[in-house]
Amino acid sequence: MSKFQKLEFYAQQRPYELLPFKFDRLNDNEYVITNMAGEFHVIPVPMLESIISKTLPLTSELIPTLRSKQFIRFTNEQAPLQLLALKIRTRLSRLAEFTNLHIFVVTLRCDHSCPYCQVSRQSESKGEFDMTTEMADKSLDFVFMSPNPAIKIEFQGGEPLLNFEMVRYVVLKAKKRNVKEGRDLQFVIATTLSLLNDDVLDFCKQHNIVLSSSLDGPMDLHNANRPRPGRDSHQRFEEGLKKARAALGYDQVSALMTTTDKSLPRARDIIDEYLRLGFDGIFLRTLSPYGFAIKTKKFMSYDTERWLEFYKEGLEYIIDLNKSGIRFVEQYSSLVLTKMLTSEDPGFVDLMNPAGAGIAAIVFNYDGSVYASDESRMLAEMGDQTFRLGNILEHSYEEIILSDQLLDALENSFTLSAPMCSDCAFEPYCGAEPVYHHAIYKDVVARKPESSFCKRNMAIFKHLIELMESDEQIKRIFMGWANRC
Amino acid sequence: MDFSHKLLFDERLYDAQVLQKAAYRSINVLTVDITSDGKQFVCALSSNIGMDEQSFLSAVQEFKKDALDYQLRHRLAVETQPIKNLILGLAFSKTGLISE
Repeated sequence: MSKFQKLEFYAQQRPYELLPFKFDRLNDNEYVITNMAGEFHVIPVPMLESIISKTLPLTSELIPTLRSKQFIRFTNEQAPLQLLALKIRTRLSRLAEFTNLHIFVVTLRCDHSCPYCQVSRQSESKGEFDMTTEMADKSLDFVFMSPNPAIKIEFQGGEPLLNFEMVRYVVLKAKKRNVKEGRDLQFVIATTLSLLNDDVLDFCKQHNIVLSSSLDGPMDLHNANRPRPGRDSHQRFEEGLKKARAALGYDQVSALMTTTDKSLPRARDIIDEYLRLGFDGIFLRTLSPYGFAIKTKKFMSYDTERWLEFYKEGLEYIIDLNKSGIRFVEQYSSLVLTKMLTSEDPGFVDLMNPAGAGIAAIVFNYDGSVYASDESRMLAEMGDQTFRLGNILEHSYEEIILSDQLLDALENSFTLSAPMCSDCAFEPYCGAEPVYHHAIYKDVVARKPESSFCKRNMAIFKHLIELMESDEQIKRIFMGWANRC
Repeated sequence: MDFSHKLLFDERLYDAQVLQKAAYRSINVLTVDITSDGKQFVCALSSNIGMDEQSFLSAVQEFKKDALDYQLRHRLAVETQPIKNLILGLAFSKTGLISE
């Protein structure tokens, strides 16, 4: 006599129960369904009604997948509930840690005069646009009030190297305080590299400071986008890059690009330039609607549809590179894929809900003002103080973090209660972005069907899923991007 | 030129909230006036200013699909609301954020 029951004995007799999930049309033939933790599955259109009506036969090949991804459960199963709760907690764990990124705008002065400048830079000689030591000290008091065990201090401008003495001051003071605090303290300087010298590099090496720079593409495009006296921005970038890599280490310098109308027909050229200079990825970014980008109407020079074409063309090329054995990442896709394919939240401020403003990143401006995000101070330079949370010389940590300006923006833009977002299958991958929506639509929520942020991201989410569904090799490449060490 | 279209939805099969949500989703192309005659919801669709006919017709088709989708979402949400609350309760219990 057999010790084991036959398979039929274990067959489920009772119908399954539904777990909460959302769905949206991927195309005319398929729906995307996402569970509470953001795991997704693609199903044919007629299948959705069957699942929800519970008429899907228990012998269907889809049943094991729906169970394993917690879209359904069998009666009295407890594990799916525990698993979903655990995944949600993991995804939101950053919230408990609170603010990580602290941006110090040490000066608004800059040696470049980019027409799309989002921070409304000032000329090199105007010393009144520099942060004072008193402001820096108070800002550091604020930084160490954050409960986060990991603190990142990023120096921005203008060009922060034009006030390098303040960078030096903040780094030394922060490190001194950290002897007692014991945080995981990191420093980043956002610089064009044009003013890099040995003195700066020695200091960066001594204090493990990472450099974040800007590269818009090949020389002609970069110099056209980023004018400076001598029209040598690209040459200076390349020279600075070589020196910085030699001094600090190859991977201690990163670059970001901004897409202008001139960039749109040149996706491949731009990616090739990143490859030529030895970068292992690129962040295909849109222009933000702030600062000179608005004043010079650069922001209006192309629409979302055209940018999406640019993005898709660039992504296709990058995928081909990966297929041919060249490991190269599109970083925005990588952030989204991390949200789609893992339980981690990469903590990218634009794609956070609740919004990352203030609670993931905060900005100390050169004039003592404290802003909810980098975009908030850009908006303020245009005269809109909506997201100015206070002044570092006048207000306490509690007054700033608990200010109505911050709490109202976070609460009112929360996507799980925003019209359309609350029902959207892609909500787990998206962000609230109150500052962007306020800048464009004068409303922290805005009407999502009219929002270019919604349109752009929805198109990206669908595109990434369709690529993964259409090609197993692409799915493997994307899995690699989502699980980078 | 403005375009318009009228759609009827049986009140036994559709919720008003469902039609409101579908109308909201179409807001970039058209506006919808929703009224009830006691048995049916009457949706009067009008194109936004400057919208071309093809875009309007596509949006009308989308509105019909969205109404069905939102009705299905409504069914799913009503059925799974208690278990959703349970999962969220499990997720946010013992966070240590509030001292006990």
